Amino acid sequence: MTDTAERAAMPPTSADAEVAVRDLTVCFDTDRGEKPAVSHANLTLPAGCITGLVGESGSGKSTLALSLLGAVPPPGRITSGSVTMTGVGEVTSLRGAKLRGVRGGYIGYVFQASQNSLNPLKTVGKQLLDLGRAHDVDDLAGLIRRARELCELMGMDGVRILDSYQHQLSGGMRQRVGIVFALVLNAKVLVLDEPTTALDMLSQAAVLRIIARVHREIGLTTLIVTHDMGVVSELADRLAVMYGGRIVEDGPATDVLQSPSHPYTRALINATARVSGDVTRARALPGRPPDLVSVPTEGCVFRDRCAFAMDVCSEAEPVLGSWSRDRRRACHADAETVTSA
Amino acid sequence: MSTWRVLTRKPGRIVGMCIVLFFAVLAIFGPYIYSGPLAVDPDAIYAGPSAQHWLGTDFAGSDVLQEIVIGARYVLETAALAALLTGAIGTAVGLLAGYHRGRTDTALMRLTDFVLTIPGLPLLIVLSTIWSFGKPYEMAIALGVTGWGGVARSVRSQTLSLRERGFLEAARGLGLSNRHVIVKELLPNLAPFVAMNMLLALPAFIGAQVTLFFLGVVPFSSSNWGVMLNQAVFSGGALQSTAALPYLLSPLTCIVLITVGVVLFLDAVDELFNPRLRERS
Amino acid sequence: MIEAVGIERTFHGHGPFTGSHVVRALRGVDFTLPAGGAVAFIGESGCGKTTLGRILAGLETYDAGVLRVDGKDVSALSGRRRGELFRSIQMVHQDPYSVLNPTRTVAATLADPLRMVARRDAGGRGGFGGRGRDRGAVDRRARELLELVGLEPDGVLPKYPHQLSGGQRQRVVIARALTVDPRALIADEAVSMIDVSMRLGILSLLRDLRERLGIALVFITHDVATARYLGADGELHVIYRGEVIERGPVDTVIQSPVHPYTQCLLSAIPVLKGLEDPGPDRLEPLGLMDATVDTPGCLFEPRCPFATERCREEHPELLKQSVDGADVEHACFHPQIRHVAAVDLTHA
Repeated sequence: MTDTAERAAMPPTSADAEVAVRDLTVCFDTDRGEKPAVSHANLTLPAGCITGLVGESGSGKSTLALSLLGAVPPPGRITSGSVTMTGVGEVTSLRGAKLRGVRGGYIGYVFQASQNSLNPLKTVGKQLLDLGRAHDVDDLAGLIRRARELCELMGMDGVRILDSYQHQLSGGMRQRVGIVFALVLNAKVLVLDEPTTALDMLSQAAVLRIIARVHREIGLTTLIVTHDMGVVSELADRLAVMYGGRIVEDGPATDVLQSPSHPYTRALINATARVSGDVTRARALPGRPPDLVSVPTEGCVFRDRCAFAMDVCSEAEPVLGSWSRDRRRACHADAETVTSA
Repeated sequence: MSTWRVLTRKPGRIVGMCIVLFFAVLAIFGPYIYSGPLAVDPDAIYAGPSAQHWLGTDFAGSDVLQEIVIGARYVLETAALAALLTGAIGTAVGLLAGYHRGRTDTALMRLTDFVLTIPGLPLLIVLSTIWSFGKPYEMAIALGVTGWGGVARSVRSQTLSLRERGFLEAARGLGLSNRHVIVKELLPNLAPFVAMNMLLALPAFIGAQVTLFFLGVVPFSSSNWGVMLNQAVFSGGALQSTAALPYLLSPLTCIVLITVGVVLFLDAVDELFNPRLRERS
Repeated sequence: MIEAVGIERTFHGHGPFTGSHVVRALRGVDFTLPAGGAVAFIGESGCGKTTLGRILAGLETYDAGVLRVDGKDVSALSGRRRGELFRSIQMVHQDPYSVLNPTRTVAATLADPLRMVARRDAGGRGGFGGRGRDRGAVDRRARELLELVGLEPDGVLPKYPHQLSGGQRQRVVIARALTVDPRALIADEAVSMIDVSMRLGILSLLRDLRERLGIALVFITHDVATARYLGADGELHVIYRGEVIERGPVDTVIQSPVHPYTQCLLSAIPVLKGLEDPGPDRLEPLGLMDATVDTPGCLFEPRCPFATERCREEHPELLKQSVDGADVEHACFHPQIRHVAAVDLTHA
């Protein structure tokens, strides 16, 4: 597909680039049967917004992010639900060339620790050309031009970057190159998996600033997946929290942080080391986050570590439902009880 | 996951284990099954397979199957001893060289290089003129002492890379002795590597011996597999006519089977030693 | 307990593509760690803080300067005595999995040093009991230590490292460090690889060890916020390219930093929207760190928004200053308090 052909097939404005995840379940084949890494997830990425998906290890956040691309690695597979994107339809039903076209052409993915996903033996420019060829891009010169534009947007010297090898770039630069690769085919949705892990404070701040800038300038719909609430707290318009494969809360970022309505969100905020505030008020969570095989199959997945647990929590799994303006939670306890504790 | 489960998890491993066990049993009990000297039957020289002689007969009319079974002991015992010897010497040398580095390393590696450059087969042939390898351990020593070079080199490089692992540094930082670090920390991490090397050495040493005897090294014993091959090719004309074919193929098939058995069983070794691999996600 | 004066360390390396190069990881660092005290080092990657940690733990040599542990100059000691001295300083690494032997259970990992200590003590005091008694005592002590670090002994002793969570592994590493009765722990990014919900647990543990056992802490991190949770009287030292450019009590340096680099670092900390407001004076450095360029003046000058001619030519040394009533040292010709750290909203 040429650049122009791609553009004709894609929606003209970013205002339409919305992603809807409906009742998505992704299971992995293990020794002990099929276990869900993501269970009945419902999430909307509103067009033009930055959504932060926060969760610890074992929460299923990376699996959820990969399923947006239809790229869940085997032995995992999507067993129910769908991922829909405006202008594309159901991504989960696409295969082969169509799916490849969506990846990169509509949705760009920046891998975790982008520092390791570049080929150490080829220059960045050559890898870019490989990418173009893999996507049947006719106008490769245009592709390079676009890459250079993106580099400038991110404060890097495009010409120099394209001629560099992976080891000649710092961690922060490699992360930015990862973003260039994700956006160079005119993707409208950008997914970043742990974009700042392994980066120090200054590089982290720089990368986050760049993500915000790129998001604004190009008009993207962005999803940032991270375990560190701090990373998304400044940037994100919306915040969604995952635990044990479930989405336990979501809503506008400021509201969720200010008055968390789920015990896990609340506990996570209290357990985060902060530069301001009273250190004696911080509390670590007891226990450890569940992994694929230890996630409870009945009742609420968080009940063992929950300060508000009740009898019903062991029997019935709470459903993600709306409460208050534009906010959702999955909890049996009363919202007021949790927010005012 | 228990040891048994590790061994039986994949069918290939079970097959490999059975083959290896079969030949081990053969080696131990073979001579008891057929006690006494080989029966000679001049009327049935190079006879084909029959109800009486399942694998036919050899140049003197003796039963081939009988010879195979009796001969198994020498071959396997030698190979096992040689594998153990090269494993022990090679690991010790490689470990000490890689762990201590510096002058110890240089000295040990010079020694290793020397051993590596010894042309094994020609040397053994020459040795055989002055030393008759009547007992398995004699052949094993000859093979073992000349063959540990490769093991030493690879154990050394494994040690060098393990050295960089944090837990060794931590052990030294705690004040644990060199001896402790080598034996309790390094060795268990080297174990799968060394075990695999030794297992793979088995078919290699079987091949080496058989080659030697095929080339005419003494002692001449008609139940020796290598000798059987030698007779089959040079006296029985096995490459020209089909008469001595079973005589030729029997020891060959055994060698191939043992190799296959070892290789299939090898698959279980890494998991056996490394508890981490036993957990499946 | 530890006293470092003018520690320098230079690495000479060859990259496959970059040719030979010299990296001055530490350019004369001094500091004192009092018994039971806590000193946190912060800085970007490549600033030399990890090298410093390793030197303090005796895992790395230094090229110049003096390092005294318990008043003894380590370079004057024999290899064996040095080893004994450094045993009282144990390292807690970023990646607990890499410092645990994957083929040994927790029980074995703890028993090794405990048995060694028991043997040493037995030898010194003329021996007591045979092997049997030893084993019981070792087992009891292992359980004691596991409980001390907040782990349930029966649940953890028979397990292999890969069967434990990151937080549990780190606790096992700390328990193992405690087997030799250290007087100081060097924690190098000890919580960066651990899930957020479990980090505070490890930090509280380190604080408890300080308070209950009087173990001093050197805490190396790039996450400034974690430095606040190490207990009272903590010091914060800011390193830039191998030099300490500001230091003082943790809260003073965070609330009222004086050196532009410290201010840049603190400005970079993300603000929890809704819970905090950004600091009013937040700023950014101009450009990235270039570790290959050495100037005669202030090393931070190329990136400093307030640099002047003098900064380019003269190298600032550490000077004492009183900030908010506390003693602070900084190395800047134009120090100015700027409030860059996020401000808590919840307790107006």
